[in-house]
Amino acid sequence: MPKNSLLLDKPRLLEKLTDFYRQVRKNDGKVGTKTRGIDLNFNNACNLRCEYCFTNSPKGEHFRDMLEMDVIASIADQADELGYFEFDLQGGELLLRPEKLFECLEAIRPERFYLYVTTNGYFLTKEIAERLAKAGVARVSVSIDSMDEETHDKIRGKKTSWRRAIEGLKHVQNAGIDPYLNITVGHYNAHEEDFKALLDYSKDQNYKTLLNVAVPAGMWSQMEDIIVDDNDREHIKKLRKEYGNLVRNLWNPFDKNNEKILGCTTVNRLYITPLGDVLACPYVHIKLGNVHDQPLKEIVEQGFKFKYFREHSDLCLAGEDKEFISKYMTTDGQSIFNPTPVQDLIENEGLELVDITPPKDS
Amino acid sequence: MSNKDKYDKIFEDTFEIEQEALKGLEYNQIEAWDSIGHMELIATFEDEWNIVMEMDDIIEISSYENGKEILKRYEIDIK
Repeated sequence: MPKNSLLLDKPRLLEKLTDFYRQVRKNDGKVGTKTRGIDLNFNNACNLRCEYCFTNSPKGEHFRDMLEMDVIASIADQADELGYFEFDLQGGELLLRPEKLFECLEAIRPERFYLYVTTNGYFLTKEIAERLAKAGVARVSVSIDSMDEETHDKIRGKKTSWRRAIEGLKHVQNAGIDPYLNITVGHYNAHEEDFKALLDYSKDQNYKTLLNVAVPAGMWSQMEDIIVDDNDREHIKKLRKEYGNLVRNLWNPFDKNNEKILGCTTVNRLYITPLGDVLACPYVHIKLGNVHDQPLKEIVEQGFKFKYFREHSDLCLAGEDKEFISKYMTTDGQSIFNPTPVQDLIENEGLELVDITPPKDS
Repeated sequence: MSNKDKYDKIFEDTFEIEQEALKGLEYNQIEAWDSIGHMELIATFEDEWNIVMEMDDIIEISSYENGKEILKRYEIDIK
């Protein structure tokens, strides 16, 4: 959600955010089928070899493929029309080729979105942070796995990655961009001191902390022992109230008491791959369509036909709903480049057309 | 309660500030008045006075003072 960014200077963003706020409020604090954000991975090349990468970058999958800039511009136009107001650029590692990233930012027209970049921080210098700010990026998310340098570097597969990530976040903050420290939390670390140390550090630095629950996908495909259990979830709930600066896409961002659940945002947040495939979310490798073949509106409608994506869930489907995981995320070879088509899953359900066109009068 | 009292209370409750902090208060000047705080402020105005604000007005509200002027457009006199 926009924080430091000058929202009042971005009337189109404010209009969409107001519409989102009103719809969520009308829907008892739940996201329903309201459009929210686009996660765009336009190139999967990466300089690190993270143990748990969900895009399989360490395997070098499709590292040469790059979504065309005119297609990206069209996606942004369509997304804007549909009311999507957040736009997250992620990879791979997009700062490996900064000129392509800046070209992409221009294609998207950042004045219409709360635009952010997710990065491992390795190339996030002061100069790059300042250029991102100038280009209209409102937030930068940097993933950090531990406050112990050696541990982080081992997980990431490269020495100095921790130091660069920590420094990178500082550059982001100094450049006037909203800094987010991303942490992946699973059953293996939810109660560990190291996790707490990361939370404390982020709070002390006045960052927001984005929590992503560990998912059995990508490099961690079919590893179900990493999934948070009820006890872990209760613990994370308590931390949310205790720290006050924790964020999850699942949580209602408008709740000052830090309690309410927005719901799982599959399809509300779309994930688009370098091949143009549109998945229900970064971690749910189910394909709704392809931007080269269909308009985005049609793809979104298709997605909401599937009951798990249409109906409210208090749990993150990919990281917490064991029934969903075992039914839909355990196909051998399933990945962002080999997703299961949603048509194969809809079969016996009634096809309910959900109109996701934003109302003309907010 | 007068409209002025209601108006002040909305700011005080939304941003968890004291009366003394209201004069000269502007958007983004305090941590609580960020985009989410702005949404909440507008929603509370709408609930309190049963209005639906136009987007141009939502964009234009940027301070404690100019909010009063903008609410006049909805025939709400803050005094």
